[in-house]
Amino acid sequence: MTTAYRIWEMIDRSKTGPHIDEDDFLPRLFTPTLKKIIKKYEIKYDAATPLPADDAMADRIWQAGWELFRDVGVYNIDSHRIIQVTDEEIREALYVAKDRYWVGGGKDARLWKHRQVEDTEPPFCIYSPDITVDEHLHHSMCAAYLKEPLLDGFCAPILENAIGQLIASGGPTEINGCIQHIYNMRAAARQLGRPGTFFVAVGTAEHDAGQIAVSNNEWGVRTTDARLVGSLTEFKTADTLLNRSVHYAQYGCYTGSLTGPIYGGWCGGSEGVAVTLVAYSLKGLLIHGAMFNQHFPFHLNYGSNTTRELLWPIAMAGQAMARNSNLLYTSNGFANAGPMTEMLFYETACHALVSTVSGWHLWEMASTRNKYRNRATPMEARLGTEVGHAVARMGMTRETANEIALKLLDRYEDQAATAPMGRQYQECYDVARALPTQEHYDMYRRVKDDIAAMGVVFPF
Amino acid sequence: MSLEELNKLVETGETEASETAARALLAQGADPLEILDSLTKTMERVGNLFADLEIFLPEVMMAGEALTAVVNIVKPELQNTSGEPARGKVVIGVVKGDLHEIGKNIVKLMLETNGFEVKDLGYDVDPLDFIKAAEEMGADFIGASSLMTTTIPRQKEIIAFLKDKGLRDKYKVVIGGAPTSQMWADMIGADLYCEDANCAAAKMAAMLDEKTA
Repeated sequence: MTTAYRIWEMIDRSKTGPHIDEDDFLPRLFTPTLKKIIKKYEIKYDAATPLPADDAMADRIWQAGWELFRDVGVYNIDSHRIIQVTDEEIREALYVAKDRYWVGGGKDARLWKHRQVEDTEPPFCIYSPDITVDEHLHHSMCAAYLKEPLLDGFCAPILENAIGQLIASGGPTEINGCIQHIYNMRAAARQLGRPGTFFVAVGTAEHDAGQIAVSNNEWGVRTTDARLVGSLTEFKTADTLLNRSVHYAQYGCYTGSLTGPIYGGWCGGSEGVAVTLVAYSLKGLLIHGAMFNQHFPFHLNYGSNTTRELLWPIAMAGQAMARNSNLLYTSNGFANAGPMTEMLFYETACHALVSTVSGWHLWEMASTRNKYRNRATPMEARLGTEVGHAVARMGMTRETANEIALKLLDRYEDQAATAPMGRQYQECYDVARALPTQEHYDMYRRVKDDIAAMGVVFPF
Repeated sequence: MSLEELNKLVETGETEASETAARALLAQGADPLEILDSLTKTMERVGNLFADLEIFLPEVMMAGEALTAVVNIVKPELQNTSGEPARGKVVIGVVKGDLHEIGKNIVKLMLETNGFEVKDLGYDVDPLDFIKAAEEMGADFIGASSLMTTTIPRQKEIIAFLKDKGLRDKYKVVIGGAPTSQMWADMIGADLYCEDANCAAAKMAAMLDEKTA
């Protein structure tokens, strides 16, 4: 059972809620409300401590996020009305939301549970390159990710072409691309002996029609899988997004709410991003009936979230939600550097460390600012999830994790603006065998040893 | 009231106070051209602060609103002086199928504060609507933004329709957005790729200068 039971009330409110012009929603309602709430709850970013251990502030951020969601609501750009919820409905949804769900099928099924701050239970690890990939590399890349031992769930790269045609959103080529996408995932999972692996799919679908076209328990996205419904920046939705919520709930698969508050944008700085992350989680729960929230806050200029002004809100929002709810939520890393660079490995490790100790599950790893085709590999996700498992098993405290995070930041932070693009998948992987090249593996091993020397005890 | 005070009010986005200050300055006999020149420098500084994220989007938007309000008051006074024409005309929008417009909105603001006349078509814009709007406006540029990988083919369609209509050389097509790159711009034959909002105005101004040189 998820909180989708109120879906028709939410749809109704999107047609009957208060009207405001779209141009006014963000500057006149969202941002002023957010600023007022940040001041009221005395939320203050501290650059010296990217991973704070401040329970009181975490609890205030939870309250602030709740208030933001309740007071602002969600704007539907098609109806030009605001969907609003009450305190009572938020309390009800939080009570009904389960703290654990079985996902995936058969022997590959996994129990995904809510985590606490400094939890010793390892995070649930969803592997995802997040980038686009050449059609001829897609199956290989799916196989390469599905070879990863710590993978609990998988979200495949996005196709730009299918049957030699450029995929155009909203048209027939998108439906074709979505079918190719899930076929490649299913084929790779079966070949790798993990046919029941939990999928979050399909990323190639930008429009609702593409998602709906692949709902099929035999060959497509199964009811044991999850699908994402996005949000428009910030706190806006549209009928094409609500179509997805309705379809996922009625089809019976899990829904994940995908949001990316922007540092430097309408949220303002780190404080605003932290509060908005919490508010977005409540939006996912109440508006979309989401089983989990998938967050990728990012820097307006860099398009990444591995620098301290983004690590701080990730840490604080994670702790706020861990301490005050049963929710499931993944921290989606966005790195500056590209594959087979030491910088990418350090960025991923730092993101995973801060997220895990703060109560998040992991979604690793978008590289090269999530911008360039074929520039992602399973190796950076491997290191990130190994760090996640290690620091959880160690029961690492926030204070210790903060010290290590500072050492990791020291390795790359000054290169954020000029990060190297690294290599493409086919340049650092044996495409036929879906395995890393020796040079790539050696670099991963070198960085892992360096991180171990900082005090991270890897289980293997 | 001093010019310095007006600049401060615009920089901090106080629209009503800026309007009052502008009227007071004009009543005192201030040169409208001098007011606009001074505000242009202020907005350049605001743009630089935003580029470094020392201030954030809401502050820039508020400063932009205050600037527009002041320009609306000062501009009619320019008719008796040597009023400067717009630096260039731009139609801008987010391509069909894409509802993400934050990047486009920032570019629009940067262009306007740098003296361009901008017609904003919004989001989910049909390729032909870009062209129709450019024709109506007599634009120099068509700016097409896209945030999603599967919507960038719509940028290519704009160029294809321009060719089909025999209008390709009439407009400079500028593209931008997260999944776009110089490589993509080259592939589809766009005239200009802007990697971020901050560089758009300078690159487009340079392109106009080349055209008139």
